[in-house]
Amino acid sequence: MLPSGIHFKDHAQELRLLRTGPQRAALLLLLALLALFPLVANSYVIGLAITVAITVIAVAGLQITVGMAGLLNLGQSAFVGVGAFTAAALYANHGMPLLAAVGLAGLASGIVSIVFSLPAIRIRGLYLALTTIAAQVVFPVVVLRLPPTWFGGSAGIGIDRVALFGVAVETPARFYFVALGVMVVMLTVAFNLQRSHVGLVFRAIRDNDIASSVLGVQLGKYKIMAFFAGAVFAGVAGGLYAFYIRYVTTDQFTIWLSIWYLGMLIVGGLSGPLGAILGTLAVTLLQEAIHWGGNRMMAALPQLSGGVIFSVTNIVLGAAIIYMLIREPHGLNHRWSILKSAYRIWPYPRA
Amino acid sequence: MLRSIQQTMSGALAAAALAVLTCGAAPARAQSTYNVSISLDYSGPFAAVMDSWYGGQQSVFDWWNETRGKTLGVKLNVKTYDMRYDASQVARTWPQILADDKPIVFLGMGTPDLVSLMKRLPGDKVPMVMGTAMVGPLWTANGWHFSFRPTYSQEFAGLFSYLQSRLPEKRALRVGTVSTQGIPGYVDQVNGVVKLAQTYPDRFVVAGSQWVDNTPINITSQVRELLGTKPDLILVGTNTAQVVATVKAVKELGAKVPVVTSSHNGLTEVAKAVPLSDLEGSYSVFGFAPSMDPSVTAAQIFEKYNKTKGTWGLTAAQTAAQALLATAAIERAVATVGAGKLTGQAVYDALEGPPFGAEHFQGLLKTVAFTKEAPFPTTDLSVKAVTVKDGKIVPVSNDWMPVPELQKW
Repeated sequence: MLPSGIHFKDHAQELRLLRTGPQRAALLLLLALLALFPLVANSYVIGLAITVAITVIAVAGLQITVGMAGLLNLGQSAFVGVGAFTAAALYANHGMPLLAAVGLAGLASGIVSIVFSLPAIRIRGLYLALTTIAAQVVFPVVVLRLPPTWFGGSAGIGIDRVALFGVAVETPARFYFVALGVMVVMLTVAFNLQRSHVGLVFRAIRDNDIASSVLGVQLGKYKIMAFFAGAVFAGVAGGLYAFYIRYVTTDQFTIWLSIWYLGMLIVGGLSGPLGAILGTLAVTLLQEAIHWGGNRMMAALPQLSGGVIFSVTNIVLGAAIIYMLIREPHGLNHRWSILKSAYRIWPYPRA
Repeated sequence: MLRSIQQTMSGALAAAALAVLTCGAAPARAQSTYNVSISLDYSGPFAAVMDSWYGGQQSVFDWWNETRGKTLGVKLNVKTYDMRYDASQVARTWPQILADDKPIVFLGMGTPDLVSLMKRLPGDKVPMVMGTAMVGPLWTANGWHFSFRPTYSQEFAGLFSYLQSRLPEKRALRVGTVSTQGIPGYVDQVNGVVKLAQTYPDRFVVAGSQWVDNTPINITSQVRELLGTKPDLILVGTNTAQVVATVKAVKELGAKVPVVTSSHNGLTEVAKAVPLSDLEGSYSVFGFAPSMDPSVTAAQIFEKYNKTKGTWGLTAAQTAAQALLATAAIERAVATVGAGKLTGQAVYDALEGPPFGAEHFQGLLKTVAFTKEAPFPTTDLSVKAVTVKDGKIVPVSNDWMPVPELQKW
C-alpha cells in the first residue's frame, strides 16, 4: 500500500523496486550508513556484520528455492560448501582473482545443484526435502575422495593471503566492504528475480504446479532453474566464507547449518528476499544477545557452572524463536509490511 | 620538532613521577604484565566440561604468577573468550583479541581454532598452543600452532604396541575400527592406523573397519560384522556417542572385546552413559599422564589454585599440560629476550628451540621437542593409558609406553 496521491502511468512504473523519491532516499541513506559502519564499530561487530552478510546471501538463495518456487531444500549448506571449496581451490591453487573465484564458486554450486534438483521434476514436499539431504551426505564424501590436489582432500584448503586488485583485504574493515558489496549485488539480483518473468513462473509453481503446467509452464525446466539460482547464491556465500575464514574443510558445512538457514528464512518470512535479511538479522542478534547474557550471568553467578548456564541459554534461544513464530507465523517480513502500511496511512487506522 | 620536544618532556616527567611514586614501595622486582588469551567453549558441544577445562589452565597460570613469574618479573594476565566451538566465532573474535590483548601466546581449544587461525598466526606473530591430539592433515611444516600431543593415530599406536608385546602368542594384534566417513579428522584416525599396519605387518593388522553415523543410536549389525573379523580390540577414536553405541553392541552380542578410546571420548565420559562394569578391560590412551597417576604433581597445583567449579580429572590434566607448555616457553623466552621484551615472536622462537625437559610439566609430560617439520613432537614419542579394572579406572602402566615410529600418511 502506498500513500495517497501516488499514481503510476504504466505497469513498468508500478513494478519498480523503488517507486517514490523517499524510498530512493531511504535506500541511499541505508547504504551510506552501511558504508560508514566500520568507522563506529569495533572489529568484533564488524566480523559479526561480515558473517551476517555472508549468511544473508545463502538464505536469500534458499528463499528463491523454498520461498519463491516452493521446493523444500535441506542441503543449502552443502552448496555453500561446494562454493567454498571451489573458490579456495581457484584462488589458492590457480591464482584466480578473488571476485572471479567467488563468481565461479556460485556457478559451480549451481551446476552441482542440477544433479540434486532432478528428483524435483517428479516429487515435491517432504519427499523432495529427503533427496536434498542426499546432497548434504554426498558432499563431504566426494570432496574427501577426490584427488587431494583438487580440493585438498581431508586436509582441506588454506588461503595464505587474501587480496583484491593487489590490495590485502585481511582486516575486518576491508573484508567488510567486499562482503557488503557482494551482498548488495546478490540482493539486487534476488529482488529483481522476484518481479521478473522467471520469478513469476516460480511463484506460479509454488502456488499450484499442476495448474501452472496446464498454463504452459515447463515444470522440470523451471524447477531445475529454481534450484540452480538458489545454489548460485549459496556458492557465492561459500566463496566469501572461504576468504573470510581462510581455511575450508568439509566438516564446516553440516546439515545443522542447512537447518539454521531454513530457520532464519522461516523466522524472516518466505515471501520475499527481505525475509532472508530480517530472519538472518533477527536470529543472529538473538544468538548474540543470549550469549552475551549467558556470559554476564556466568560472571555474576560464579556458583553456577558454565555448562548449566549455557544449556539454559540454548533453551531460551529455542523458546524465543518459537515465540516469534507464534506471534508472527508469516515471518518478520509480514510484520514489516504491516508497519509500513500503518505508517503510510497514519493517522487513519488500518482496515 | 616542537611536538617531539613536548613528547620527550612529558615522557621524562611521567617517568620521574613514576620513580617518585615507586621509590617508597617494597624492593620487589618490577613486574612486566603480558596477556595470554584462551579459547573456550561455554555454549557449544564442550560446555559441560568447560569448568574443568579452564580450571586446569587457570590454576597453572595462577600458580606460575605466584611462583615462577614473581622470580622472573613477569605477570601473565589471562583473558578468556567463549568461541562456541565455531570457526566463524573464532574468526570474528581474533582481530579483537589482537587489537585489545596483544597476546604473547594463544591457547587454542580444537579444530575451529586451528581452521580459523592456522593461516593467520604467522602474519600476526602469535603462537598458538593446543592441548588436543593432532590429525594427519595438520602434519605440515612451519606452522605457528603447537601441540604437545602427536596425532591420534600415533597415540593409539603406542597402546597397540604395548598390547601386542603382551599377547600370549607371537602374532599381530588384530585391530577393528569404528568411525565415520565424511569427517576428515575421523577418517584420518583410521588412515593412520592403516599406515601403522602397513609399516609393521608382523605386529598389527586392521581386521576390519565399520563406518557408522556420527551420532548413532544402534550399531549392533555393524559391530556384529566387525566381530566376525576376530579383532583383539575395537578402536573408536571419534566421539562419546560412538563409543557408547559400540560398547552396548558388544554387550548385546555377548562378546568380550575391549574398546580403545582417546581422551575426549574416554572412559570417564562414557561411564556417564554405561556402567563401568560394561567397560571392563577397555582403554583410553593419550599423550599425557593420567590425572590419577601418583607422579602428577600438577594435581596439587589444581587443588590449591583452582577457582572454577571444575574437578581434577583427564580434562583438567590435559589443559594443565597445555598451560605448562605455554609457561615453559614463556620462561625460555624471558631468559632469551628479558622480562620486559616478551613478544609472540620470542615465545614462538622459544617453542622452536631445544627440547623442553620433563621438569617443566609437573609429571604430566615427558620431554617435548618441536621441529619446523611438524606442529607436534615427532621423535621419542610415548603415551599413557587408563583401563577399567575391577570396576575402577586405573593406569595401564606407570611407565610411558613408547610409540612405534610412523611416517606421514
